Order: sequence, then structure tokens, then C-alpha cells
Amino acid sequence: MQSRHLRDGRILLAPLTIFLLAMLGLPLVVDLIYSVSRVEFRTILSPEFVGLANYRSALTSESYWQAAWFSLRFGLACAVAQLLLGLFLAIFLAPLIDRRPWLLAFLMLPMMVAPALVGLMYRLILHEFVGVVPWFMFTYFGDSPSFLGPDNAFRTLVVVEVLQWTPFALLILYSAYAAIPKDVREAASIDGAGPWQRLWRIDLPLMAPVLGATFFIRFIDSFRVFDNVYTLTGAGAGGATTTMSIWVYEAFFKSGDIGRAVAASMLLLIAAWVVLSIVHRLSERRA
Amino acid sequence: MRSSHLFAALTAVLLTSAAAQAEVTVLGWPGGPEETALRDAANLYNAKEDVADEDKVELIFFNRDGFWDKLQTDLAAGGGEFDLNLLATYAIGRYAPFMEPVELPDSAVDVFGEKVLATMQFEGKQYGVPTDLSLHFMYYRTDLIEQLLSDADWQARYSEIAQERLGKELKPKPPAEWTWDDYQATALFFTKAVNPDSPVRYGTVLQMKNLLFNMMVWHSTARSEGGDWMDADGNITVDSPAYRKGLELYKALYDAGASPKDSLSYEFAEANAAFGSGQVATMLQWNAAAADLNDPEKTPAVGGKVGTVPPPAGIAGRFTHIHGLGLGLNKSAQNKAGALKFLEWLATPEAMQAYAAGGGTPALSADVLAPVAEQRPDLTQLGDYAGQYGFVMTGATSAGALSVYELQAENFTGYWAGQKSLDEALAATAQGMADLLKK
Repeated sequence: MQSRHLRDGRILLAPLTIFLLAMLGLPLVVDLIYSVSRVEFRTILSPEFVGLANYRSALTSESYWQAAWFSLRFGLACAVAQLLLGLFLAIFLAPLIDRRPWLLAFLMLPMMVAPALVGLMYRLILHEFVGVVPWFMFTYFGDSPSFLGPDNAFRTLVVVEVLQWTPFALLILYSAYAAIPKDVREAASIDGAGPWQRLWRIDLPLMAPVLGATFFIRFIDSFRVFDNVYTLTGAGAGGATTTMSIWVYEAFFKSGDIGRAVAASMLLLIAAWVVLSIVHRLSERRA
Repeated sequence: MRSSHLFAALTAVLLTSAAAQAEVTVLGWPGGPEETALRDAANLYNAKEDVADEDKVELIFFNRDGFWDKLQTDLAAGGGEFDLNLLATYAIGRYAPFMEPVELPDSAVDVFGEKVLATMQFEGKQYGVPTDLSLHFMYYRTDLIEQLLSDADWQARYSEIAQERLGKELKPKPPAEWTWDDYQATALFFTKAVNPDSPVRYGTVLQMKNLLFNMMVWHSTARSEGGDWMDADGNITVDSPAYRKGLELYKALYDAGASPKDSLSYEFAEANAAFGSGQVATMLQWNAAAADLNDPEKTPAVGGKVGTVPPPAGIAGRFTHIHGLGLGLNKSAQNKAGALKFLEWLATPEAMQAYAAGGGTPALSADVLAPVAEQRPDLTQLGDYAGQYGFVMTGATSAGALSVYELQAENFTGYWAGQKSLDEALAATAQGMADLLKK
């Protein structure tokens, strides 16, 4: 009986397993081979084994670390800003959304737009001669800052990313906030807890796991950003806005150094696995 | 009954796919005048009685964004979905391993001229038919320059600014006689931050985004001072007075506020929008912008008031970067014979005149252009400038050319943005180029 269940389980899992092996396993094996090979588009079918040279080349490249540092700063800044803004909106708008739930769908609109399109939209909106923002700046202040210049590009990119993805944080955090039983808050109020005390002692502790998960998801998403940064500033003057994804893309397509690009991707995969393992262990310890 | 229907349907599918394979499939440059022109030329070709059904041309296009990357992937994968594909001077070396050289009829020289045919050559072999040529014009506002050349007060202020900023005694000149110093002085004169009485906000608009195409625009400055990528012995020569002067010119203009503050994120479209707003006096830009900018309906602020001349001169003369777009033969083409017939036809006066009339920008000899010269007067200028001032940097058609442009873009924009010194930018570029061009 048990063996039949086991066999049925295997049969049912087989299609998914085959699909994953074909779509993820095979590319991973090819990537592993390419990452230890000298390979360009011309030699894509005949890679030459070079050991760990590609990994060494990526790790000793100044631009690689510059891109890693940019992505780390960008990921942290965006995740923190989205978390705080999403939390504020979730709590501030909760009474309104409770009465009119359709508002939530309206607030989700920014994240429905393709990130590349968002980048192109802001290229227009921020353009000194055709953009609406500089027009208001010139009209009311007589001057407009260089939104995409080297001094402000990072801040502008963070704001664009935050504006697009805060709705995601709002959605998750509102759900968590709404899931807290009302009688817990009422009991706290009867015991004399004010709004701040309820927030610090009831709401935030109960929302902590969701806050952590939201931060982590948004950090990963912002760390690997490509589309809107690429369409807004590209790699940036002197490579100043090169994210890890842009670095890999440029190494692959622009320089044609496929082995190096794939090695850099594998390093990212390893780093992500390490971070995931740490987070997993921490959550297990907490549980 | 059921099986006979199935058999009939399968036969129909097989016949259709066989017919599709027999056609000549051409992957063109999408979404611009090149697409319209290619459609016109293909329609003319397909309507000819001596073109067999299996050699009719079918055009396919995909998005411009990332076009070259997608093309590279398709070619490297040995894809035979297209027989002929787009080719550009700066990418020939990279794509040549996946393409086949072609032999054009001798008459092609009479149609295009040697210099233009050379934009589709790599290691002495012809890889395609040059359908469009790109080069640069110095755009200027005719109303502003006319006043500068006739107003004594403006001229006095111009000379003051030239003395103060450049340390040189300069007087306004017509744009066709400009050196880079004249261009710089004019740009500064028309900059509000330098001359508050300027009728426009900026004297020029520079395309300084970290982008390979912006390097092509900038190269005219270095070449006119005698700069090149490498010498006859293959030594990299970018760390030279010519490159320094060109790079310093852009930085000086940007730092003086003569170009918009966001110029470090500007490319073709942004620069056109700035110039088209009526707030910019001059612009070094691709020839493709000329028609729209000078059209009062499309660009009301400046239409009808835009002049174009070749880029300013340096000590080595007056130069403009040129590169060609063309069509070449995919090594994995399914219908090579048909594709070659179409390529040979494309190199005839009949085809190129139809292409020019359709909005393309082929560089043609005077005789071939004559029947459409009235309809496309800009092409006369294009051919003249290409012949007189056109240049391609040594090594700029090699397999590493695209990467060299990228490398220069990263380092030079780093210098313009103040992140690197000029010495650091040039040293990093020279070292990187040595690696890329020795491959």
C-alpha cells in the first residue's frame, strides 16, 4: 500500500521534475561549463577550459566590485524606503481600505507597469525641455536640478524604484496589519495603551515576520535591478550606475566575454545561496 | 473521412512551410525610415516579372531595443530564420564569422563609390550592400548666427568671452568656417550662465551618456586634431594631444554650463528634444535628425531656422565619422541563391533610387542620385560630406570594435563627470584597447 503511494507520488512528480531539470538543471550545467571556459559568441560551441580564470578575472575587476557596491547600496536604500513607506501607508490607509477595498487595486497600478517602461516614462518626465517636473521647477524656482546627472542619479533611481514598488510592500503589510485580531488592540486600549504604544507593543511585534520577509523580497528585487536603471541612465557616467545585472549583461553582450559574465552570475548565485541559508537558519532559530 | 481531412491539412501545412522556406527572408532595421524604404524597395523587387516566386522577398523586423544583441545571439546559434540581415560598419568584425562574403557586380562601384562600399568590408572582403550612411552635421540656429554675424554689440561681447574663457582673440565666423575654438566661443556666447543676455539657455547640447554611439559623435573632434585608435604598427594611440584636446573641449563646455546639466544622460533623442525646444544654439548631431528638426510642423520652435554644415575643423582638417548600415548574407541562410540575387539587385541604380525615394539615406554617386535629387536634396549633402570629410578610425571594423567604443564611453564619460582624471581615463582606455584589439 505504502509502496503504491510512493510510486503514485513519483509518477505525479515526474513531469515537474523533468520540466525543472530541463529548464533549470540543463542551463545550470551549461553555465557551470561556460564559467570555467574561455568562450565567446564565435566559440560558443567549442569552449576552451581555463579553470577558475573567469572567476579570478571577475573578482579582481574594479568595475565588478563597483557594481556590487552600487547594487548593495541601491538594494538597501530601496528596501528600507519601501518598507517604511509601505508600513506607513498600510497603517494610515487601513481605515479607508477597510471601507473601500477596491482602492487597493487602484494603489497597485504602478507595479503593473513594466519596469523598462517606467524608466522611459521618467526619462521624459525628468527631461529639462519636455519634462513636467523640470517645467514646474523652472516656473516656480527659476532653475531645475540635474536629476540624472552624476550627483543626483542614485537618488533619482532610488525614488523611481520606490515609487514603483512601494505598492508591493503596502499590499503585504496591509494584509498583515488587517490580520491582527481587533480584540487584541481593543484589550490594549482598555488597559490604557495609546496609539504609539499599540503600534510598538502590539502591531509591529505581530507583523515582524512579515516585515522581515517584505524587506528581504524587496532587497533581492532591488539588488538585481536592471530594466528601469538601464533605460534611465544606462551604466551611468564612468559606470557610476552599473548594477550587478547591468555588469553581467555588458560583459556578456557588449564585451562578448561569455565565460566571465557567467562566472560573475555564478558568484551571485553563491552569494544569494549563502544569504538565504543565513536567513533560513535565523528563522528556524526564531521558530 | 476524418483521416483524409487530417492528411489534407498536414499536406497544406507542409506545402506552406516549404514555400515559406523558399522565400528570401530579410531582417531589416525596424521602426524608422530605413524600414519604410526597405518595404518600398522590396515591393518593387517582388513586382518584377523575372523574380521567381521562390525568390520573392519577405521582410521581418523586431524591436530596435537590444537589436544587435538579439541578432548576435541568433547568428551565433546558427539560426536560419533569415537569409539576409542588417549589418553595420562598427559590427562587421563581430558578425563576420557568422556571415558569408558576397561578390557584388562591378557596377556597384559606380552606384556607391569605393569609400561607401568600404563601410561594408572586413579584412578586404565585401560583406554587404550599403543601404544607409550615417554621419554628423554641425546644426546651428540660422537666425541666431545671422544676428551674431551682423550685430556689433553681440560681436564685441563674443570677443570678450573668447578672450576671457579661451584666452584667444576671436571674432564670429560663419559656421562653415568654424574651428573647434570658434564653436566653443559661439557655444559660450549663447549660454545664459556665461552671457546673461543670450536669447537661449544653452550654447550647445552635448551627448555625453555612457553609450557607444555618443563616442562616434565625439570622435570627429579627436580626428580633426589628428587622432586615431592605432598607428600603422598597431600601437594604440589614444593617449595623444588630439584625444586630450577633444575630451577637454567637451568637459570645458559642460563645466561652463554651455550644455544642459543632464547631458551626461543624453543621447540622440534627448539632444534633439533640447535643440528642438528652441533653447539651444548649436548641436553636433547625426544627419538623421535634419529633416525633422527643420520641419516647422514637427518642430515649431526651430523649424525653418536650422542650418547644417560639416563639423568644425582642427589642425588636421575637417572630419566626420561615417558608418554604414547595410544588408549581408547569413551563413546559415536557407535560400542563399535567392538572397544573392536580391543583394545584387539592391546594388543597382533602380533599387537605390526606390530606396532613397522611400526615405532611406543611401550615399550614392551624383549620376545615380540625380533622378531623386529634387525629392531628397539632403542626400546630395550626405554624399558630398561622406566623400570629403568621412573617416573610420583604424581598427573600427574589427571584431573588438564595439567593445572599444564601450570602453571609451565608460572612461571618457567618467572623465567628463569628474570621476576620473584625464590621465587615468586615457591610460585605462589605452590599456583596455590594447587587450581588445590584439584578440
